[in-house]
Amino acid sequence: MVDPPRKDRNSTLRSAGLLLAVPTLLIVSPLLGAFLGNLLDRRFGSGHWCAGIGLALGFAAAGRETYQLVRRAQQEEEKDRRP
Amino acid sequence: MGLEFLARVRRTALWVGLVAALVTATYAAPLLALGVALGAAWSLANLALLERLIVAITGAERSSLPSVRRAVQAVAGMLALFAAGGLLLRLLSPAALMAGFFIPYAVLVLKAAALLLLPSALWKRLTQDARLASLVVALLFGAAWFAVAPLRNASIAAPGHAAAAESAQATAGPAAPGAPAGEAHEAGHEKSEGPQKFPNLITVLHRAFPNAGWSRFLEHYEVILFALLVAFLIGLVARLATRNPQLVPSGLQNAVETLVEQLNDFITGILGERHAPRFVPFLGTLFLYIWAMNLFGLIPFMDSPTSNLNVTVALALTVFVYAQYVGLRGLGLVGYLDHLMGSPRNLTGWLLVPLMLPIHVLGELAKPISLSCRLFGNIFGEDMLLVAFVSLGITTLSFAHLPFGLPLQVPFLVLALLTSTLQALVFTVLSTIYILLMLPHHDHEPGHEAEEELLEHSPI
Repeated sequence: MVDPPRKDRNSTLRSAGLLLAVPTLLIVSPLLGAFLGNLLDRRFGSGHWCAGIGLALGFAAAGRETYQLVRRAQQEEEKDRRP
Repeated sequence: MGLEFLARVRRTALWVGLVAALVTATYAAPLLALGVALGAAWSLANLALLERLIVAITGAERSSLPSVRRAVQAVAGMLALFAAGGLLLRLLSPAALMAGFFIPYAVLVLKAAALLLLPSALWKRLTQDARLASLVVALLFGAAWFAVAPLRNASIAAPGHAAAAESAQATAGPAAPGAPAGEAHEAGHEKSEGPQKFPNLITVLHRAFPNAGWSRFLEHYEVILFALLVAFLIGLVARLATRNPQLVPSGLQNAVETLVEQLNDFITGILGERHAPRFVPFLGTLFLYIWAMNLFGLIPFMDSPTSNLNVTVALALTVFVYAQYVGLRGLGLVGYLDHLMGSPRNLTGWLLVPLMLPIHVLGELAKPISLSCRLFGNIFGEDMLLVAFVSLGITTLSFAHLPFGLPLQVPFLVLALLTSTLQALVFTVLSTIYILLMLPHHDHEPGHEAEEELLEHSPI
């Protein structure tokens, strides 16, 4: 069997590298948002409001970063398909 | 790949969640199974709503009325989902809910890993020979069995241990405040530390001369010293390879040139011909340094500096600061702030600034944390796996009182070679992407010729 050319192999590695980053980002961003929100809650005595908002913003940030990474991986694949 | 990949992840996660819930219902309790199923469903719904929201607010038609409507619907759905999540956490077991919550993420990791493994030459070679494939499957089953054994033992021992601790406390009577409580806590802490890493040269010296000042110094700065040693060795190899350069390279010069060329091609593939020359030295050095540090722990009496969180945080912070610097120099202060605010160009965009700004800032801050935690977790986990299998090999032959054990760790050394390289690669790819995202909009996007022109003359 013939091995894929170097360009394809690099592209696959890049795509896999990008997608492997997604789960950590999805977990870290909401945790960071909740943590920062919690700090604000303690500072201002606002119950759990800031932590909740931070968590929601963290989820949104995670989604945005994921979208960017997935779009980037998609571009890698399109680059491969080009003659 | 892309959104289609995420759709496949959702479908698989749905089935895995269902099977996990059925298994939990059969072997544990129906309420726990309900927790797992609802946790997975919550996580999947959250991912779907996030995807919908992001596509609506970052897509090409983000200013149109249907997009705004979709974004509002997604936000309303997320708020309802969070309320439902709060209610579920009060009613069901948080552990079961969390287990279900992580199912889609686990599926995502496995699918991404499969994407890397399936087209590789190693996989093709394994699947061509049925006997070899059977051997690998048997080895994997064996590894999984031994890896799960400590968890199983811990879960059996835990209630007994807790009861013993309680009875000990009852016998001793109420503990006096201060020292005794501290001692008890320390003892408990010591017991819960788990397996130690392999002894390295510095720990051996420190155990031989525990009171000597120099040995305490070495032990205190162990990680930094190993990191410096790796840097020195890389410098030495580079010096030897370039000391007497030949037109037709051979030996070390040939190997180093091949490596540098591969790295250059790899990074140029992401950044493009125009930007790559400025960033290849930094990113290439980053890859080589992390790769060498990851592999260093496989040498007897040496240690991987990357199995320490301080080192990985330092590396991630370097990338973070450099990416911000690139962004500030390339875009200017106003352009940088505009980028953080999501580049608003109309009324809807400006109205979304209070939402987009914290999202961008959180996203930027999450990058170094995720980079450092991923690298540390993988290399530390790899070290612990090797320690567990070496211990197992020694225990297996303990009846014969031999000075050595079965070399059960050998297959995992090969695996460690692969994961060390892969983690260095992942770190470098992500650093490259973070720098790329900080550059003025990329080559493939039309309408940014002026910014590209500006960047061309930028002094970074």
